Amino acid sequence: MVIKKKLQTPEEMLQAGKELLQPWTLSENTPESDRLDVVIRAADIKACVKALIEAKWGYLSAITALDCPEYAVVEGSSQKVVVADKGSVEVLYHFCSGAAIVTLRVMLPYAAATMDSICEIIPSATLYEREAMELLGVEFIGTPSMERLLLPDDWPANVYPLRKAFTGLEKTNKVEEK
Amino acid sequence: METKHVPEKFIVSIGPQHPALKEPGHFEFTVDGEVVTDATARLGFVHRGMEKGCEERNYTQDLYLMERVCGICSHVHALAFALGVEKLAGVQAPPRAQAIRSLVAELERIHSHLLWLGVAAHEGGFDTLFMFSWRDRETVMDLLELISGNRVNYSANVLGGVKIDINDSQRDALHKGMDFLEERTHHYMKVVTEDETFLGRTRNIGLMTKDQASLLGAVGPTARASGVKHDVRVDSPYAGYPQFPVKLITEPAGDLEARFVVRINELFESYRMVREIIDHLPEGELSVKVPRRIPEGETISRVEAPRGELLYFMKSNGTDQPDRVKVRTPSLCNWASVLTLAVGHKLADMPMILAGIDPCFSCNDRMVTVNRGGNSQDWSWEDLRKYGIAYYK
Repeated sequence: MVIKKKLQTPEEMLQAGKELLQPWTLSENTPESDRLDVVIRAADIKACVKALIEAKWGYLSAITALDCPEYAVVEGSSQKVVVADKGSVEVLYHFCSGAAIVTLRVMLPYAAATMDSICEIIPSATLYEREAMELLGVEFIGTPSMERLLLPDDWPANVYPLRKAFTGLEKTNKVEEK
Repeated sequence: METKHVPEKFIVSIGPQHPALKEPGHFEFTVDGEVVTDATARLGFVHRGMEKGCEERNYTQDLYLMERVCGICSHVHALAFALGVEKLAGVQAPPRAQAIRSLVAELERIHSHLLWLGVAAHEGGFDTLFMFSWRDRETVMDLLELISGNRVNYSANVLGGVKIDINDSQRDALHKGMDFLEERTHHYMKVVTEDETFLGRTRNIGLMTKDQASLLGAVGPTARASGVKHDVRVDSPYAGYPQFPVKLITEPAGDLEARFVVRINELFESYRMVREIIDHLPEGELSVKVPRRIPEGETISRVEAPRGELLYFMKSNGTDQPDRVKVRTPSLCNWASVLTLAVGHKLADMPMILAGIDPCFSCNDRMVTVNRGGNSQDWSWEDLRKYGIAYYK
């Protein structure tokens, strides 16, 4: 199925996207009239991306990684604190076609924050994957280069600055002074 | 006896540092003689942790922070952020504010495209064109200063609207400025499409087909010069664009010349838009009230920056600070295309191919190291630029 984009309204595009992704959909949601969120398993990412690309359903606009830590309430107050090492990272693949946006959502626990790279299908995704890898600690298997893209060369391993638990290098893991 | 031939690899490494640079990046071009066989990038030298910074400030403070993501296209960042917050809060800026947002966005596009024209011309050694286009760019910089008080970081947006209005004398000045620039732009179009020496550096150089552009995720004028029909202003109109529709401009050729022609045609379209908006500015208020605490939700805000689609993903948590703000700038998309395009081209074409995507990358005197089998030789970006110009003499 190849989608004739010009003839379709955003609602029709979202409907077409919904049907394309049906085999892998765990749950879906329409947060805004021009958006469709589809929750899938990490293992199905390549199949889903392939289905969208082969049907010419738009283009990959961005990959967002979201930190979803576990919070604990401090006793005797309403203050919430982040529980270190517990929680998950959600990876969002935003595909756009005209005004319509389909977001594939994958939830990965910290302990197994690993999924397949989609670079075989969309080579340019590597920059987004490397960004998520360095800043939020999601490992993408098969991305062409695992070298540092954004963080300094002397940045400590396993410290991910966009996780909520990260509040500064001094407090977490100070870079060794030479 | 068997002889083993080990091909030697020459790696030309460019960057990352230059004090005058907005966005330092480091590139390594592997060359076989004159021809580039591989290209890689290393970014992040000016990573300022703004996404993280957003999570620790309130929405009003973030508006000012995000306006400073880029010094060239500052307005579109503030605009994308403000539009996102307004969607999350369930409010809409008044029509006059939306029109003024588009007006400033088009003025910004004019300044950015003229700046690019100068930079790209300079990389090719066409310094007269560089001087003229930057002189003319002052016209639009003065106009931006006239209406906002600032040459860059205009700070036109507030959450829920704008804080600047257009009066009659400003309207007259804008008309006069557009007339002058339009006349000059006709001349630039003539230069980039008719001048033999210029065409020698741009025609059939850096070719990218429509399919390649789509696959590599190119955006903005870079993609439109390969015939890709993407423009957020047309695909998903925002701010004042539903009321003042913009014409989609594409070129089929996909070479450097097409990238010049697309941007120059976009200049004409922007002049038309500026006149259209100031002549038909809707009456009414400039802003509406936005609550301090933003209800829980997620939104995606897309705008067309001068370099292409700019995407903001925002998540709110019911407090006065966002939970996450993700920024995907257009240059990031276009790096992938330039790294692929570079392969098969001459080293001498690199300065113009790099400049051709308008990659927030206007540095000239960067350090270039030529690695040659263990020996390395240092070049500056200026040396590479001169090498390119001399090559074509």
